[in-house]
Amino acid sequence: MFGYVTPDLPELKLKEYQRFRALYCGLCHELGLRYGLPGRMILNYDFVFLAALLWDGDVPCGYRMRRCAVHPVCRRCVCESSPALTTAAGYSLILAYRKAEDGVEDSRGARRLGARAARVALGRPYRRAAAAYPDFDRQVSDRLRLLKDLENGGCESIDETADQFARLLASASGGVTGNAQRPLSELLYHVGRIVYIADAYADLAEDRKKGEYNPVAARFGVADGKPDEETRQAVLATLMSSSRLAAAAFELMPESRWTPICENIVYLGIPKMIREVTDGTYRAKNRGLPKEPEKNIRRNGE
Amino acid sequence: MTDPYKTLGIPQNATDEEVKRAYRELAKKYHPDNYVDNPLADLAQEKMKEINEAYDTITRMRRGGGSGQAGYSSGYGGYSYQSGTDYSAIRQAIQSGNLQYAEELLNASQTRDAEWNFLMGSLNYRKGWLDDARSFFQRACNMNPSNMEYRQALNTVSQTNSPYRQTGYGPPAQNGGFDMCDMCTAMMCMNMMCNGCR
Repeated sequence: MFGYVTPDLPELKLKEYQRFRALYCGLCHELGLRYGLPGRMILNYDFVFLAALLWDGDVPCGYRMRRCAVHPVCRRCVCESSPALTTAAGYSLILAYRKAEDGVEDSRGARRLGARAARVALGRPYRRAAAAYPDFDRQVSDRLRLLKDLENGGCESIDETADQFARLLASASGGVTGNAQRPLSELLYHVGRIVYIADAYADLAEDRKKGEYNPVAARFGVADGKPDEETRQAVLATLMSSSRLAAAAFELMPESRWTPICENIVYLGIPKMIREVTDGTYRAKNRGLPKEPEKNIRRNGE
Repeated sequence: MTDPYKTLGIPQNATDEEVKRAYRELAKKYHPDNYVDNPLADLAQEKMKEINEAYDTITRMRRGGGSGQAGYSSGYGGYSYQSGTDYSAIRQAIQSGNLQYAEELLNASQTRDAEWNFLMGSLNYRKGWLDDARSFFQRACNMNPSNMEYRQALNTVSQTNSPYRQTGYGPPAQNGGFDMCDMCTAMMCMNMMCNGCR
């Protein structure tokens, strides 16, 4: 995915922030352990959130201090491997590979070269992940194919296109059994819907320049790559409605050790991202590593 | 049977006031109004039932076995709609989650009046297709501006406010709130991270 789903860091308690970072590092180590260096390169925040959601309340969480290539001197606190991390790592690999595959077919120039390189590098790890999670792999490839058909057909409904991506993400709840499955599926559906539409909105100008299909432009008739106020309000309303439904679903999930962090993401992080995207203040570089709290304070000028 | 105190998320020695407050907050959170046309409405209802039972049990226990007072429990069940004759089957299908059937009925319908647009909107809302839902609700409102139900539905999907979180930093009874000392410790921790790892 795209790294849109992050906590609102200044609102996170320090202890939760540290645990979130340990989970982030844990996912990175898990990707490295199972899929090697190429696996580590695809690490992103959306799947840290997924790992937190998939974490069964009863499964304990061990922490260890570990070094890695990015932090060679100072050891970092890292979550030890767990079923949730393993699943999240496998899913993120499958999605990254399938997206690279799409990129090879769709894009041109340097991007295509990049996608091709990613496809080669992720080929072997992907086969391993697909063998472990064949259902998810099938869902991803089916949904992305249907999505591409809709996009190539110039679909004018953002709901119809977003639905494919949302269902793709919702299928990540497939391995969960019991009471948690339905709320999780609904929550992931709306997170996927938000990510798809927010990404389309953020890419309006770029897609316009390249002459590529953009679902928001197709739905609201944005001609010059700059949405008018009416479009902005409509997108904001539909995304916020989704985030409220995501929150309603989240409340029906069983408690786990990651509940406070997920609560922050659902109630604060996602709405904040939606506001920033629709304001045009969301910057691509925000998608990188999380700023430490004190840096955030400085940047906000507080 | 599960511990009623655990259901409400409070310790056994909580005061009556705290029990009531915890109950009210949970009841607000899982209130059927928050789950209208939501595919998870049944789960929320179950949760509501658990909370009501837990509250009843606690109040009964505290009153020494007398019959407990049922708090918010009554009158929450089925969400009642004013029913139009032709559309009641569709409403029922949407409410019970039989979306495919509802869609077939709606598509087969000859009329395209306000109610039809409203039901089409509800159907899309339930599917999570919120942008289409908004268009349909808008049309229903334009056709029949005086209908409160249509207006409310349109409001729900047009709101631009974030989800409302009842619990902030956890109940004050447990962590004693945020005082200057916490702030100092937090600043110290931040400082340590700043110097130690860069």
